[in-house]
Amino acid sequence: MENSLTPLLNAANQIILGKDRQIRLAVCCLIAKGHLLIEDIPGVGKTTLSHTLARLFGLDYQRIQFTSDILPADIIGSSVFDAERHEFRFHHGPIFNQMILADEINRSTPKAQSALLEAMEEEQVTVEGQTYPLPKPFFVIATQNPSHQIGTFPLPESQLDRFLMRIELGYPNREAERALLQGEQRHKIIAELPVMLAPEQLNALQQAVTEIYASPALLDYVQNIIDFSRQSDEFSAGLSPRGGLALLTASKAWALMEQRHAVIPEDVQAVLAAVAGHRLKAGSTDAASIVAPILEHVPVV
Amino acid sequence: MLIALGLITLPHSQHLPLPLFLFFVVLWTWRFIAIWKPEWLPGKITVFLLMLAAIGLLYSQHQGVLGRAGGTSLFVVALGLKLLEIRGTRDIYLIVFLGFIVAATEFLYQQNIVMAIYIVLVCIFLLATLITINGLHAKISPTLKKAGIIVLQAMPIAAIIFVLFPRIEAPHFKWLDAEKNQVTGLSDTLEPGAISELGLSPELVFRVKFDGDIPPPDERYWRGPVFTYTDGKRWRESPNRFFKRYMDTPRFKGKAYHYTLLMEPQNKPWVFALEMPAHFEAPLQRNSFYQLITTKDPTQRAEYKITSYTHFNTGYLTKTELKDTLQLPGKPSERIVKLVKQLGGFDLKPEQFIANLFNYFRQENFFYTLMPKKMENKPIETFLFERRYGFCSHYATAFVYLMRVADIPARVIGGYQGGELNEAGNFLEVRQANAHAWAEVWLHDKGWSRFDPTTAIAPERVEQTLDIEQQIATRTLTIVTPEVLHQSMDWLKQAKQVLGSVDYSWQRWIINYNRTSQQGIFKHLGIKDLKTIIYWLLVLVGTVTLILARFILKNKAQPVDPAVKLYRQFCQKIPDVTLNPGEAPYRFAARCRQAHPKQAETIDRIIQLFVKIRYYPNSPKETLEQLKKQVDHFSCT
Repeated sequence: MENSLTPLLNAANQIILGKDRQIRLAVCCLIAKGHLLIEDIPGVGKTTLSHTLARLFGLDYQRIQFTSDILPADIIGSSVFDAERHEFRFHHGPIFNQMILADEINRSTPKAQSALLEAMEEEQVTVEGQTYPLPKPFFVIATQNPSHQIGTFPLPESQLDRFLMRIELGYPNREAERALLQGEQRHKIIAELPVMLAPEQLNALQQAVTEIYASPALLDYVQNIIDFSRQSDEFSAGLSPRGGLALLTASKAWALMEQRHAVIPEDVQAVLAAVAGHRLKAGSTDAASIVAPILEHVPVV
Repeated sequence: MLIALGLITLPHSQHLPLPLFLFFVVLWTWRFIAIWKPEWLPGKITVFLLMLAAIGLLYSQHQGVLGRAGGTSLFVVALGLKLLEIRGTRDIYLIVFLGFIVAATEFLYQQNIVMAIYIVLVCIFLLATLITINGLHAKISPTLKKAGIIVLQAMPIAAIIFVLFPRIEAPHFKWLDAEKNQVTGLSDTLEPGAISELGLSPELVFRVKFDGDIPPPDERYWRGPVFTYTDGKRWRESPNRFFKRYMDTPRFKGKAYHYTLLMEPQNKPWVFALEMPAHFEAPLQRNSFYQLITTKDPTQRAEYKITSYTHFNTGYLTKTELKDTLQLPGKPSERIVKLVKQLGGFDLKPEQFIANLFNYFRQENFFYTLMPKKMENKPIETFLFERRYGFCSHYATAFVYLMRVADIPARVIGGYQGGELNEAGNFLEVRQANAHAWAEVWLHDKGWSRFDPTTAIAPERVEQTLDIEQQIATRTLTIVTPEVLHQSMDWLKQAKQVLGSVDYSWQRWIINYNRTSQQGIFKHLGIKDLKTIIYWLLVLVGTVTLILARFILKNKAQPVDPAVKLYRQFCQKIPDVTLNPGEAPYRFAARCRQAHPKQAETIDRIIQLFVKIRYYPNSPKETLEQLKKQVDHFSCT
């Protein structure tokens, strides 16, 4: 585990400077088989992060730039008349890749958004009565601008729920900024990045996540968090059962990255903001302050 | 549930008029059968007709529903009718609560401890029904257990309320008392054979606790009404109750017996003192027949302190007495005069005549029986010359009659004789079965003297089993009943005596707990006014409720993981660092390390052990022991 993930994390840290925690969360999300949503203002490195991850994992990837006039067919693909064969042939859209970078997903109309999100949920695409399975593994890393920016269609809660994690990047600190200003151009480095994790290694990691042990005491803690989120006045809606499952799976993946066989409360607390933030308060970007009352009030032992 | 209701109504069979009770039994049986054959349940019209019948029955038996018996009957009959129309849960609730009321009415009749226990048991059954309705348990035994627990939990509160709740000195419900109390007991007329019904009743009449020695069995005569006037069949008290002798005390001799008499509820104000009562206190009075009368309500239990002497001389004979005690209903028949003559009644001394008469009873073919046949015409002659099977009253009345024929003043005394010694409580229990009748003859030098012709009958002539003969012979019991028979078995007797002793305490401390005794307790506790009583009540009931609640909740609380216990101990051992509720172990450890860098290693080890036990699979037991050791040894100083 260590051998496989540590170089990957190190390499990513070379590209995106000073964001060790966010990178770990993003990797954690991927080995927990979840889709990732990165939300922040333009220019802080959302796209760079997703590109980096795609390269390092060695997956076929395709970037889809969402715009206000993008149509579902631009994502999924469409039937095109083949003049030679005199028939319609399905032209696979960019979604038929192992990793999709959905850039600025909230700038498109809900119609186009839902085309992507349906595919995320069902892992298949149905066009004109014909079902086409999506490749495996299938990841979506979506980026979005904060909803208060002009020209955005915020994702509804039901669709946000399909992302295992949402992370924010934030401005780099002073040192990182200086290094960034001094260094090479990022996209050049990315293009030269080697593959750090073979597909079978990723598969093994994903399998290992499911085998991490969660003791009854830990499940008590997770349930207490869920109950608290449902009963507290702080949140309009509590965590759904899917949210609860997501929290546990993410905690297991985190425990794996921390090289443990069992989940401990620290793992839950580490992933809580990323997993629960967008589920509890869709509009807000500050996930840490959203889950702060949970971390403070739900007793660990 | 039906069984529980049947059990509840069962003891009422003693008081309810037979038709009403049968009516209930029929309805109950009907309902019972309907469990298997639901189509047999009556329709609306039938129920309506049954209701009319019930109203009719109630009126015919009680002329209304006021009063104790009437009210009870109303409830019992209503319960029976309601049984026939159980449709929803609501009806079952109604029936169960009616059942509770019927159970409570039982205490209007009987308040002894056996009945109390019985009612509690039946109430547990009823509670179990309620529990089943609410679907908490389906099986019988856990339901019963739960009901029992509920009753047990209610006990302390009941006890507190019993002691502290302000007692209102019962504003006597006259309509309750006015009714004829169907307590059996001696009546104010004596008809030979009448006492024999009492002879079968083991019901307690009074208990006597002696300060010191207990008189020997053959001196245990408890004096009741004195029957002077006779019409040949029945014997009555003389209407002249207060004449000169009223103020006058006999000359007492010998040993004085001091004792406390606890009378059970009676119809008559008679207090059965040991012959002859010398000193007593208000509310007791003595009439001219040396009988003690209470001026208080005899239907309440009461305690009296009395001193008696078994040897006495009443001295002279008044004119009224002479006239009354020689009274005869018309001329005696020739047969009787002949008999008296033959026994020397007209020429011998009275003592000699009495001795002859005793011999006559003994030698002729006389029998003692508990169940004499009724002698309608001229009972005395029939008894003396034809039947010769008699009960104490037959012997006493015949004896007195013959005395009067011989011109000797004589009268019949009713009362009780004997009494069984309760060794557990060291008191005498006198029951209805001890009811007795004997004779009193006025002799010149001795005054009124007791003669008990029943003793004249030789043991071998008693028409009963050997046991009874022996008991008659030893005078431990005058009248023997089948129930008393069993008592000769030793262990049974002991058990009975223990029970009697418990019941005695029950009567003294629970039933007799009235306003006066309550005020005694209040004085002890320093309670003066109603407000303080209410405070006490609230505080005590509240405390008990809290204790019970804690007990119940504690049982439900999850057992705490021993590892967590140790972890908390450890957290408390670290100065300056307190565990926040949301703080995970390693983060806490980090803070601790910062505060106490010297202990960093130990802290880490402890936290690692804890996390291993709590969050890792299958940690061996030794790990917990290790943790315990580490935590025990840990100290920051």
